[in-house]
Amino acid sequence: MRLELDPAPSLGKTLLTYLAFLLLTLLLLGGLFALYGVPPLRAYGVLLSPLADPLGLAEIARRTIPLLLIGAGLTLAFRVGFFNIGAEGQLLLGAVGAAYAALFLPAGPWTLPLMFLLGGALGGLWAGVAAWLRVRFGANEILTTLMQNYLAYYLVVYLVAGPWKGQFVFGFLYTDRFPEVARLPRLGDTLVHWPTLLLGVGAALGLQLLLFRTPLGFSWRVLGENPSAARYLGLKEGRFLALAALASGALSGLAGVGEVAGIHQRLLEPAQISLGYGFTAILAAWLARGRPGLVLLTAPLLGLILVGGDALKLAYSMPFRVVDVVAGLLLLGLVGAEALARHRLVWRR
Amino acid sequence: MRRLLVLLALLLGLSLAQEKLKACFLYVGPVGDAGWTYAHDVGRKKAEAALPWLETRYVESVPEAQAPSVIDRFVREGCRVIFATSFGYMEAVLEAARKYPDVIFAHATGIKRAPNVATYMADFYQVYYLNGLAAGALSKTGKVGYVAAFPIPEVKRHINAFALGVRAVNPKAQVLVRWINAWYDPAKAREATEALLSQGADVFAFTEDTPTVVQTAARKGAYSFGHYTPMLKFAPDRVVSGQIIRWEVIYMDFLKKVREGVYTPKNLQNVDYFWLLQHKAVEMGADYGVPINPKHVPLLQKARMRVGDKEVPVYDRIMALLKDMSSPNPTFDPFAGPIRDRKGVVRIPAGRKASLQELLTMEWAAPGVVGDWPGEPR
Amino acid sequence: MEEALLRAVLFGTPLLLAALGALLAERSGVVNLGVEGIMALSALAAFAVALDASPYWGLLAGVGVGVLGGLFLGVFAVTLRANPFVAGLAVAAMGLGASGLLGKRYEGMPLDTPLPEGPLALVAFLLALLLHYFLYGSRLGLYLRSVGENPKAADLFGVSVEGVRYRALALGGGLIGLAGAYLSLAYRPSWTDGMTAGLGWVAIALVILAAWEPLRVVLGAYLFGLLFFLQFRLQGSVPIPSEAFAAMPYLLVILVLALSGRSRAPKALGQPFERGR
Repeated sequence: MRLELDPAPSLGKTLLTYLAFLLLTLLLLGGLFALYGVPPLRAYGVLLSPLADPLGLAEIARRTIPLLLIGAGLTLAFRVGFFNIGAEGQLLLGAVGAAYAALFLPAGPWTLPLMFLLGGALGGLWAGVAAWLRVRFGANEILTTLMQNYLAYYLVVYLVAGPWKGQFVFGFLYTDRFPEVARLPRLGDTLVHWPTLLLGVGAALGLQLLLFRTPLGFSWRVLGENPSAARYLGLKEGRFLALAALASGALSGLAGVGEVAGIHQRLLEPAQISLGYGFTAILAAWLARGRPGLVLLTAPLLGLILVGGDALKLAYSMPFRVVDVVAGLLLLGLVGAEALARHRLVWRR
Repeated sequence: MRRLLVLLALLLGLSLAQEKLKACFLYVGPVGDAGWTYAHDVGRKKAEAALPWLETRYVESVPEAQAPSVIDRFVREGCRVIFATSFGYMEAVLEAARKYPDVIFAHATGIKRAPNVATYMADFYQVYYLNGLAAGALSKTGKVGYVAAFPIPEVKRHINAFALGVRAVNPKAQVLVRWINAWYDPAKAREATEALLSQGADVFAFTEDTPTVVQTAARKGAYSFGHYTPMLKFAPDRVVSGQIIRWEVIYMDFLKKVREGVYTPKNLQNVDYFWLLQHKAVEMGADYGVPINPKHVPLLQKARMRVGDKEVPVYDRIMALLKDMSSPNPTFDPFAGPIRDRKGVVRIPAGRKASLQELLTMEWAAPGVVGDWPGEPR
Repeated sequence: MEEALLRAVLFGTPLLLAALGALLAERSGVVNLGVEGIMALSALAAFAVALDASPYWGLLAGVGVGVLGGLFLGVFAVTLRANPFVAGLAVAAMGLGASGLLGKRYEGMPLDTPLPEGPLALVAFLLALLLHYFLYGSRLGLYLRSVGENPKAADLFGVSVEGVRYRALALGGGLIGLAGAYLSLAYRPSWTDGMTAGLGWVAIALVILAAWEPLRVVLGAYLFGLLFFLQFRLQGSVPIPSEAFAAMPYLLVILVLALSGRSRAPKALGQPFERGR
């Protein structure tokens, strides 16, 4: 008995596989909840409760914003073959750029656009360094971008503990609050800074079009799928790679601008700024399988997992680690189902 | 008298018949095993065990940006008192207090209040001074190590009090400070301690959420002072003393007053707990009720220090000051002027002690502190 | 100076072991991004068993859990041919999460009989030599490398690609488990949730830095250990902000990588194998 690729999996089989894996995952999760003394069915209810409640939906939207921006950029970068693990650092650099524009440049109606511009530029620059190191020295970008995350972390700590520390923060690690003109509008009472959300939707759709409807996109796809063919066509590999890296870095930077201008309204301890969006977005990108437009689905899905996990944590005072376990199990179920749906079982060797 | 008793019994019966008071806690980190959040959770559990009419809930690891939605949820679930245990929750708490004027909020380490927002803090600076005296007496090299989390006023205040104590015994001693820029990171705590050991430090104090510094120091035979919770069991031969928090003292006092109607959502504007040794909210000790590890008492009795123009055993001085500062009206304060910072600038003039405001926003470094000091005033 | 070298080795050891574990799997063509989670779970298992039995049983338990973690990833990355990156990240999250949930009652406990770091560090060093010899001097190592470079050819020669990859994941998992056990039984020695504190990700980076060569991993791990110690040793000695010193290890890793130039990953790295494709 063995598994082999199914050349033409039927829709019914695919659905059935996903259903089976979903059930299996839920069963495992249920076992875990039961172990913890929480009735499984009610726990599932809580996990999905954000969907049925305006506050929950707002929370999902808030988490979706950075995941969307970063995820769309990463989808492109991964497709082209630039494995950017440094979105977290690029996001922080974006936050730094935004804070600089908000606090140290003359304020006016141009402040918000300037923040996005500067934050995006710094995020792009941060990814650009890794791209340059790869093109020029052949340095593996997985490693450089990962290390750059730490550099960005300490840069932010240095700024908020040192030169940028606020006058009115009683010595704590914050800058002063951004002036009114540097704060993003939010939807009603929620923390949904909608301009950034629109930006994210635009980025996902725009990259989708760029990738599949333009010559640049064609070159990117060739480069990602078949580098030797790209060379044969005379494409300047380094240039296209760097362009994709810059785009994904800039989008991560914009996400950072959104977080500080829309939610915190100041620069603060790095671990509080991002909540790991740079890493979660990697999953959003991988699940989107090379189509930036699909991030419009995967980002809210991951948002739901995060918010649902939080709801569980809240409802039953469960340890925060429950979010990790729920997310991990659901992801495994998802990739498992996706993989199995492509296969068929053969009863011979 | 009898009538009073009857009245009391009646009141008690009435209140028992009422529904429980629901208090909810917002934790900034995971409960963990020794640090800040763990101590708040111990306080919560002790309060719940002692007050039969109390019901509590908590959520751990709530990032600052998540606080508003957690508070919303708490209120919806009927929480009447909400404790927010991190400075970073300040804006969220003040905003929620406006949104829910009937809910009582209490903000730990906070500095802004409102009619329904009180602030509270249990502080260690006196204990750090006393531990500094012991450290100064125990150090043979004259170098005392301090592994520090983040450069915020609370940590700086503690290092300064500690250094003032060390210098009171040994005026030439140095307190070598290493920042690890993390509240919780055992690997950094370990390597920072190793670095200090290799530079000659032989006594340690620290701010980090695990007993790593205590464990590491003990391997090399160096003394240490536990932090936040009792750490004697992690190095029974080497933990001299430490700072121990008792949040339950504040929680019980506060909740009782809410229960009795002393605190209402309208009169908290001036309710600020800054509780110290005298309120029993903090304790000096290697373990609960063990101010100094008996194994080290003889050493501290042998060591001498100058107080005024007299030579006294360090142990006697520590115990005398501990007794004084634990009494209802302390006469001694570690931050009594004149105190200069390490650059020679007078920070607290002669004739008075540091004000609460000065304590809460302390940025300068005491004489004897050696090392990087982010945000040091010029 | 001696002190610094000692710290380089003793703090480098968990990184070395975890990186060797990741390297073994990657040389067979499977990316193991679950290192952080497997390490966390092994650290807990080792500590729990050490408390009840002895630290040596604890060590064994840590290795055992690591092996299981590797095999678990194998079910998805090898048998199901699922995306190995996502599967690995999911394993990392689950390992961290499960260790946090299961380990609550082991927090705040001292370990009375910790293991000595020195001998374990020596074992780790010898394991690196052994792995080098295994990869380049043995038939099995040749199979493993060929599966990582060209699984189709290896398959034609009758090597079971899936079998080799499972073994590499299991053995590698065992090494990662040993790293976790080192942390909770020797380095701390205690257990707290999240005590791996990102070391698993550093280990994955080290494999790349070392260009997938076991002996270079030794150098890389010790170098990182040295820099990690020096950031605190040098802090305060010159008027440079402490954050700059904290960033130094990561900056130097980037520089070393840039200077050491192009390295080549195993050709089939991250590609699920399907016969006849």
